[in-house]
This record gives sequence, structure tokens and C-alpha cells, in this order.
Amino acid sequence: MEQLLNELKVKIIETLNLEGVTPDDIDEDSQLVGGELEIDSIDVLELVLMMEKDYSVIVNNKELGAKVFSSLRTMADYICEKSPEKSN
Amino acid sequence: MTGVRIFIVSMGIISPVGHGLLQTKDAIKEGRKGITPLSLFPTAQSKPLPVGEIRESFETGNVPRTHSLALIAAKEAMKGFNDALDAVVMGVSTGGILTTEEHMKKGDLEPELFRFHSTGSVAEYIAGEYKCTGPVITVSTACSSGTVAIKVALEMLRTGKVKRVLAGGADSLCRLTYYGFNSLQLIDPEGARPFDRNRNGMSVSEGAAMLLLVSDEDVPDNAVAEVLGAGLSCDAYHSSTPHPEGRGGAGAILAAVNDSDISLSDIDYINLHGTGTFHNDLSEAKALNSLFGDKKPLMSSVKGAFGHSLAAAGAIESVVSAMSISENMIPANIGCDEPDPELNLNIAMNYLETGVKTVLSNSFGFGGNNAAIVLGKPEKERSKAKLKKVSYLSIVGSSCITGAGDTDQTMDEILHGKDCKGLLSTKEISQNFPPNAVRRLKRLPRMVLSLAVAAHENSGVSDPPSSIFLGTGWGGLSETYDFLVNLYESNEQFASPTNFVGSVHNAPAGQVAIRFKATGPNITTTGGDYSFEQALMTASLLSDDIDADDTIFVIGADESHEILSHIFDRSVLLDQTRSDGGGALCLKTGETSSGLKIYPAFFESADNNRKVMSSLIENLGETEKINEKYGLVFAGIPAAHRKAGEKQLDEFLSLSGFLNPVNDYRKLTGEFASASAVAAVLAVRFVQNGKIPVQLSGSEDYHLNGKGILIIGLGKSVTAIEVIP
Repeated sequence: MEQLLNELKVKIIETLNLEGVTPDDIDEDSQLVGGELEIDSIDVLELVLMMEKDYSVIVNNKELGAKVFSSLRTMADYICEKSPEKSN
Repeated sequence: MTGVRIFIVSMGIISPVGHGLLQTKDAIKEGRKGITPLSLFPTAQSKPLPVGEIRESFETGNVPRTHSLALIAAKEAMKGFNDALDAVVMGVSTGGILTTEEHMKKGDLEPELFRFHSTGSVAEYIAGEYKCTGPVITVSTACSSGTVAIKVALEMLRTGKVKRVLAGGADSLCRLTYYGFNSLQLIDPEGARPFDRNRNGMSVSEGAAMLLLVSDEDVPDNAVAEVLGAGLSCDAYHSSTPHPEGRGGAGAILAAVNDSDISLSDIDYINLHGTGTFHNDLSEAKALNSLFGDKKPLMSSVKGAFGHSLAAAGAIESVVSAMSISENMIPANIGCDEPDPELNLNIAMNYLETGVKTVLSNSFGFGGNNAAIVLGKPEKERSKAKLKKVSYLSIVGSSCITGAGDTDQTMDEILHGKDCKGLLSTKEISQNFPPNAVRRLKRLPRMVLSLAVAAHENSGVSDPPSSIFLGTGWGGLSETYDFLVNLYESNEQFASPTNFVGSVHNAPAGQVAIRFKATGPNITTTGGDYSFEQALMTASLLSDDIDADDTIFVIGADESHEILSHIFDRSVLLDQTRSDGGGALCLKTGETSSGLKIYPAFFESADNNRKVMSSLIENLGETEKINEKYGLVFAGIPAAHRKAGEKQLDEFLSLSGFLNPVNDYRKLTGEFASASAVAAVLAVRFVQNGKIPVQLSGSEDYHLNGKGILIIGLGKSVTAIEVIP
């Protein structure tokens, strides 16, 4: 799990072009959208794409999206649940 | 009192529900739907999404589908009319991209294949078909383009200088919008259900509508409807999500009602934007509730039947609205089974025949670009609008970006006898912004944002500008390219929402609006080498819609893209040095007697127009006046039209007897569509300094002594901009 969380931090920084942000700046349990990182709805959709590409996990509706992208940890949990072979 | 009224005297339409007015009328009456699974191009999806696709086969010849659709609509609108058109104004958001996508997919990158790629090429094609020698303007404000185009045409007609304008919009289905809206999770797999409690997105669609607008003092016999007014606004909130309280939508509706000299209570029917997405319909409902309260007229969105044809939608819905007036009918809100009670609207669930005198039609788009138009029954007794004057705009600030750097660096190079060709790095362009503020922006929006901030700083005005007019020949090429390349590389599995939202031509102006909280009119014009001229002309035409105390931006910019620029733009192909950049002016609209001013003095198409140069000179005044008024002619000759342009310049010089310095400015700036915006900023700085540097004037510094500078654009069109002290 720890490894997946760290991997996701790097991927979020890359995917969203968060220049100047380091993995240590992202807190696993903080609110992801609208929080300090100023992540918005379009960013979330980029993360949806990333999860589909890299983990074959699909998030195709807003209600599910709100749950999955609530924090970094909820993202990791969802990947573990749906794609255990890719999350370790 | 002399004045004018503007009438729709003829219309043409093609959409997924039918070809022509008769089929469209029947489809509305029968409640027919044009939404079916996509078949126009193959997709990797096992089940293609529902779209509004025109199933009828038609001859496309050697032009892309959008151009053909536009011509079909234009032919119907122009049937039986032989008088020359004075102007063509069109809303187009993706131009010939369907053809571009096909060639790119095959890896076929011959420049000749992309002749009709640009959004501007659609209106030019239509103008060419009808030998229109007047101005040809392309508006690209995403989903509001069609309505904004009619607003621009309306303001042109109100000047009295033009009498007949063909206005409308066109867009074909393409991969960019099909996969793009899907990447935003905005497509309803069941087909759009606007205002339904279970609505779940839109249906991307295609089509075209053209309206022949004329000015007259009295009602012409063939009047279908009268254009009473139109209003624009910008959310200045988010690049793709509408303002949650419908603030921008309400602003556009109010502006349209004020412009029309009617009251909200006069409106009998509202043709809603109603795309079917959760947020759009909610935002539009909030706007309407805030304005109409409990006194709402009947209203419907036709997008459940027609789909959302993007830049064509506003024009198509203006045709439907005019039909509502002429046929005394209200279309049903197809797709809505159970209106969402949360929205509290008065949705027309069924087709209805009833007296309709006044109709409001809404169009809202990405970048928070909102437009609303009011059409009325052409009654005998109605007040005429006073002829409006096209006024000078006062220059309060300016900035440019070139291969040499910012404004000071550019001026410095020129003073040292060098050119300012070349490219800055994207990082250099946006060096004054914190990285996070521009992390999602590629080259063009960064350039436009930097230009705007620098021009505003240069103005010394503390209040932020309220309105934005951007001219760009090609829009965000990096975003479009990256979107398509990622799509193809993933076998059409993955489409980037960020690139899609950024690929929209008006995205950079939307970013400027968000930064400056500029909620006034926000128009992006995309007319190739004359895009900046179109933006300036549009700003000048709309000056009555802007508070006299406000400042506005008029900006021109284009990016150089290593793959696309030289295959799209033949002028770029012909120059060995890649260049890009742009210029921004911070302007005031109110009449002032002193200070630097700018004026869009002339715009005509050069095709089929042998007298274009004498017409230019006639507009500028007598020969003596021309020599007295301008100390320099800055001539813009795109490399692709060098021979014709040089001939035009020679003709200008011989006919005008102009004796002062002349400079061929693309040799300084390099080749890019909006190089004239850089020329305008250089002209402003020269006039402020009172002299033309020796490198441009020939033998020694040329003192202007109160004279101004004339910037002329040559080639396919001939344009003139005055910068005078």
C-alpha cells in the first residue's frame, strides 16, 4: 500500500504538471479536490484517464468519482479493490 | 429620425432532423429526433455513442464536411437573391478538422491537404461562392459562436455602412469533439435529455444555418423576423464549467433585453441553450429564475432532437426561433420526460401552436462565453435604432512578444537595425507567472495571458479590463496536436480532457477573462492573416455594449508549432525561420479628444474585387490627406501572397502618391498569422516616441510631427488600421 501511495504521488505530479510540488507535499488523507493543490474537475478527469491507462481501473460517473478522488488514500484503496494485481 | 431596423429575410438550415426549412418545420411539428449512434467515422468503442449525425449523403467535393454543410445552408438562404452581399460573418469552432484528422491518422502531412483546415476558411469559402467583396469575419467562441456571429452582423448593419449580411454558423462532427466531450464525461449514453430529472449529458451533433440579414427603415415584404437585439457576457469563472449561479447567462440575457428595448415580460418563448448536462441546465435554470421569478414564459431546448452542433447551434436555434415567430409555434423540449423539479422552469413538453411575437434564444459556451438574442415579429410600429458610429478606440496600454523578447527587447532589436524573428521558449513567455498558475496552459494561452498582463501594466490603469477581443489565426495548436496524437497512439482509447478544453480557439481569451474577472463581451475571431484586424473591428463595433469608463483588451497572437504551423499556414512554410508572437492593446471605448487612438479603417476581400485598392484610398481620404495624416505605411504581406501583395502595395503607392516611408513589416516579425498585432504595437510605440527609427525609414530617423501610422494588410484581403496621435 505504501508503495502504491508513493507511486500515485509521483503520477499525480506528472499527470497534472504540478511544477514545484514534491511527493512529500502531498498528504495521503487530505482532501484532493479543491484543496491546497488546487485540483479541479478537469484534473480529476485526467486522473481518471491515468487510472484507466496505468491500472486498468475505470471511474465512469461523477458519484463514484467523488468517492474515489476524495483523497490519495481513497484512490489507492479503489485501485487495490479493483486491480489488486497492479497495485502491489 | 433616421434609423435602421434589422430583419431576417431568408434562412437556410441543415441538421440531423432535416435538410431545409420545410423538413425542419415538419420535424419540429412531429417531434422527430435526429440522435443515432455515430457512423461517420470508425471508433474503437464496441458501441458508438449517440450523436446528431446528418445521414443524408451530399457531395463534399474537395472541401471538408463543415464547408459543405455551410454551403448547403447558404444556398437555401440565398435562393432568389441576386444582390451582392456586403459581408459574411460566421461562427465556426472546428473548421476542416474532420479532414485534418483523417490525414493525420494516416501520417499524411502534405501542406496541400490542409488548405481548408482553418476555422476561417469556412466563411471565406462561402464569401467566395457569393463573390462577397466586403469583410468576412469568423467568430470562434465555442458553443456560442453562431449567436455571437449574428450579434456581430447586427452591429455591422446598425452602422448603416452595410445593408446585406449573410450570418450563421457551421460545424461537422469530428473526433476532437466526439472524444473530447466524452473525456469530460459529458455525453449521455441514452441521448441528451435536457432539463429532465435524470439528464446525464449532451449529444454532440453537426449542422449549419445561415441567415440573410438586411437593414431597412421599414418592414420589407419578405421579412421573416426582426432582430431586436443581442447581448454578450463572460462568466470569467472556469474554462469548461458554467458559473454555478448562472451569473454570466443572466448577464447576457439582460444585455440582450436592454439592447432590444423590450421588457422581460414581453418574451413569449425562450429557446434554451439546454445541452442536457447536469451543470449547464442547472446554471441556465438559475439564471432564468433570477430574472423571471414566477413569471416565466414557455421555454424549450431543441438539443434533445437536434443534438448540440456547437458553433452551428446558435445559428440553428436562431432559425428555429424565427420559425417560432413566423409559424406561431413553440417546439417541444424533446428528450425530457420528467422536468427536474429542482430547476423550476416552464418547460414546453409538447409542440404547441400559439401566437408568438417575441423570442429569446440563449447560447452559452466553453470559456464562459455567453450570448443571447431577441427576435421579434416584424411589426409596422416599432422604434428604429439610431445609426451608430464606428468610433476610434483610445490606446492606454500596449505590449508585444516576438522572437526578440518582450516589448522593450523587441524595440531594442529594431532600433539596432535587427529583425525580431524567431521563438522564445514557452518558459520564457510565462516567466512572470507562478508555475502552478499556468500548469495546464500550453504555448498560446501563456502568450496571450502574458501579453494581457503586460499591456494592462503598461496602461497604468488600476481597474481590470472588462472585455476581451482576441484574434488568432490558428488557435492552440499544441493542444490540438497533443490531443489527436494521444488519441491515435492509444488506438482511440484515451483522450485528454485538458487538451480538449485547451484546443478550443477561445480558450486563451477565457483564461484572460478569469484572470481579470472580465465579465463583459469576450470574442475570439479566427480569420487567418486578418484575425487581429477582425478582433479590432469587432471591438469597435461592440463599443456601445461596453461601459465608456471600462478598458478593454484587443489582442492578436499565434503560436508556432513544429509540426502543424508549416502544414497549415503556407506563409510559415515559405520562411526558413520559425517565428511567433503577438501584440496586445489596452483600450478605452469612450470618445476622447486627445491621446493616441486606433481605428479599423478598412476591410475588404481582394478576391473578385479589382477596385479594392482604389476603394481603400477612397476610404482613407484624398492623396494630400494621406500624406499629411500618416508618416509611415506598415505593410503586411503574408509570404504565401507575396506576389499579389507586392502588386497591391505598388498600386496603393501609385494611386495614393504616398511619399513617406513604407515598411514591409513581416520581414521584421517573421511569418505568423497575427504578425499585424505586433505591427500595431510597434506603431503605437513609434507614435508615442514621435519618430520612426532610421532602420525603418531609410536614411535617417523620421520625425512624425503629429502624423500617425497606417498599417495595411495585403493578400487575400486588404485591411487598414490607423494609429494616430
